[in-house]
Amino acid sequence: MKHPLTAALCLALATGWMTEAAAGSRIELPEGPNRDLVYGKCRTCHDLQYVKDSAGLDQYSWGGLLDSMKDFGLKLTDQQRSEILGYLATYLGPNPPPAAPSADQPQMAGGEVDGATVFNEQCSSCHQPNGQGVPANFPPLAGNRDLFSDRLFPAYVLLNGLEGKITVDDHHFDGVMPPFDHLSDAEIAAVINYVRGAWTNAQLADETFAALEASDVANVRAKTMTASEVHAYREAHLD
Amino acid sequence: MTYVLRQPNLSRREFGLLAGTAGLAMGFAPGLTRRALADEAANAAKIIAGKSPDMIVHNAKLGVMETPLALLRKYPHTPKEILFNRLHFPVDGERKWTATTAAPDFKDWTILVDGLVQRSRQVTLADLMTMDQVKRVSVMQCAGNGRSYYAAKSKAPGGQWKHGGMGNIEWEGVPLRPLLDDLKLAASSEAVWLTANGRDDPPEREATDFAKSYHIDDPALDNAILALKMNGEPIPASHGGPVRLIIPGYYGNMNVKYVTNLLLDAAQSPSAFQSKAYRFPNHPVEPGKFTVADYTTSNSRPTYGFQIMSVIFSPLAEDTVKHGTVEIAGVAWNDGTAPITSVEVSTDGGASWRDAMIEKPESPWAWHHWKLPAKLAKGTTDIMCRATDAFGRTQPLDGTARWQPKGYEWNGVDRVTVTVT
Repeated sequence: MKHPLTAALCLALATGWMTEAAAGSRIELPEGPNRDLVYGKCRTCHDLQYVKDSAGLDQYSWGGLLDSMKDFGLKLTDQQRSEILGYLATYLGPNPPPAAPSADQPQMAGGEVDGATVFNEQCSSCHQPNGQGVPANFPPLAGNRDLFSDRLFPAYVLLNGLEGKITVDDHHFDGVMPPFDHLSDAEIAAVINYVRGAWTNAQLADETFAALEASDVANVRAKTMTASEVHAYREAHLD
Repeated sequence: MTYVLRQPNLSRREFGLLAGTAGLAMGFAPGLTRRALADEAANAAKIIAGKSPDMIVHNAKLGVMETPLALLRKYPHTPKEILFNRLHFPVDGERKWTATTAAPDFKDWTILVDGLVQRSRQVTLADLMTMDQVKRVSVMQCAGNGRSYYAAKSKAPGGQWKHGGMGNIEWEGVPLRPLLDDLKLAASSEAVWLTANGRDDPPEREATDFAKSYHIDDPALDNAILALKMNGEPIPASHGGPVRLIIPGYYGNMNVKYVTNLLLDAAQSPSAFQSKAYRFPNHPVEPGKFTVADYTTSNSRPTYGFQIMSVIFSPLAEDTVKHGTVEIAGVAWNDGTAPITSVEVSTDGGASWRDAMIEKPESPWAWHHWKLPAKLAKGTTDIMCRATDAFGRTQPLDGTARWQPKGYEWNGVDRVTVTVT
């Protein structure tokens, strides 16, 4: 059931907006519970077009496909496997139900979002559970001073993605990080606050930033930026 | 047909302008800012520099794209701008150098030839350039080409290729077997498997690398070359430059790109790309009884040689066809081990067939051009073509007869429905 305001906005929009297409074009899947987990776990090695183009498979086939991904680097807990398979077999299955708003996530109940959980579900596939990244592929988050160059910078990255050459501690990267704007303002604030305090990162800050609030993220979300523009923003705010 | 997703895309600027304070207010409520986000169209020219924007994209992050047939049919040798592309690891990060049709610049490129040998060798690009070169015109085809057609029985997941995952290429390079002989490796008699590995590596630490293995006695290796040129130019990075192992008649994945290692060993590579992916079941399998996770080295064999195949290039469904005498034309190919003896064409949905005229091909592994003039009346017409070779191999009337969950090696009789005016 769509939020009435969203419906009105979609109606108001007559033209398609062609934003800058990078390697890894933007593909959206039907809304449904645990769709966000698919976004977090299934974009490391390919984009979601394969998933979208495979719509119609039954649970048996999705299950086999999901299990075959282990050899290609996919790591899931049993719980995550079950949740992802549930989403795929339903919303990308032979008889998909109408899209369900993803707003009612268990972690939303009570209003408290666990940043560590968001990190594990959304960030760890690339940046690794220990935050070390993968040389020449994914920058580390552990010990990464970019986290503290500007209070809002990580929110720009999560909402818009980041692409272009960057150097982190003399290590070079030239990758494409997709947007994570499927996450809510509260989730984005929580995961940034988590990463800023994880491992030894708390010792990196020259000044202490106030923790991000959902409202901070909402303000960033209201601005338009491409992944390349975020790169320019990063360059402008480097220490 | 260009793959463009036409849905309204709610950009953040428009969201802010139109939503006003009400929209921003949505952001203040934790968990409620999940907007209906829309797809962004993929542009092939932005994914791989030098590719035509008319390419149909199947996965931007992996540079996977196919050629519309209306474009493919124009050229006897498929230019790099429109040849289909498929990479196994993302085109960004440490593999970003592959995201271009320009030739890569690796002056010190070295191939290590090693394994169960008395003497391991290093062969450089400069070495290869001084050796005698031969040309091989051959079809390059993805094993998944035609996968979308299996959906008539049960959809096979992955890129939904039509017929454009193939092209006809003139490769030029150093013949493989004479090179291996000249290297005087003194390989062990147990070294019965040759494995080729390339420069590309997966982004995940615990993901399999890509490698392909062939039995050393495989006759297809008699025609193999370490190619340095594609259509007369140094091989594009996206197509495996500076050196690509080309085995004419073998599906694309077997033609290892950016070769850095040739290993002679007693066993096949444990790469999952050899032991689990790119394999075809030895016996018929059914949906609901066999998934992509069920492949083993015992129940399947690698997608080595091309299944015999033919495709109608003209007329295509999108062409304007005037009633009267129309030239039906297309191409056929197989693995090159037996000559193609006929291409039969039907213009009445399979009720009757006539032999098309086949041009002498440039090589056993190249496109065989065929054509047949036919009288077409006004209305809708189903045109079909079916190739057969001297070994008795032919195409099934219903290609889904060879259904398997990976959707490889499609070779069903081609069928085009045209409107004749």
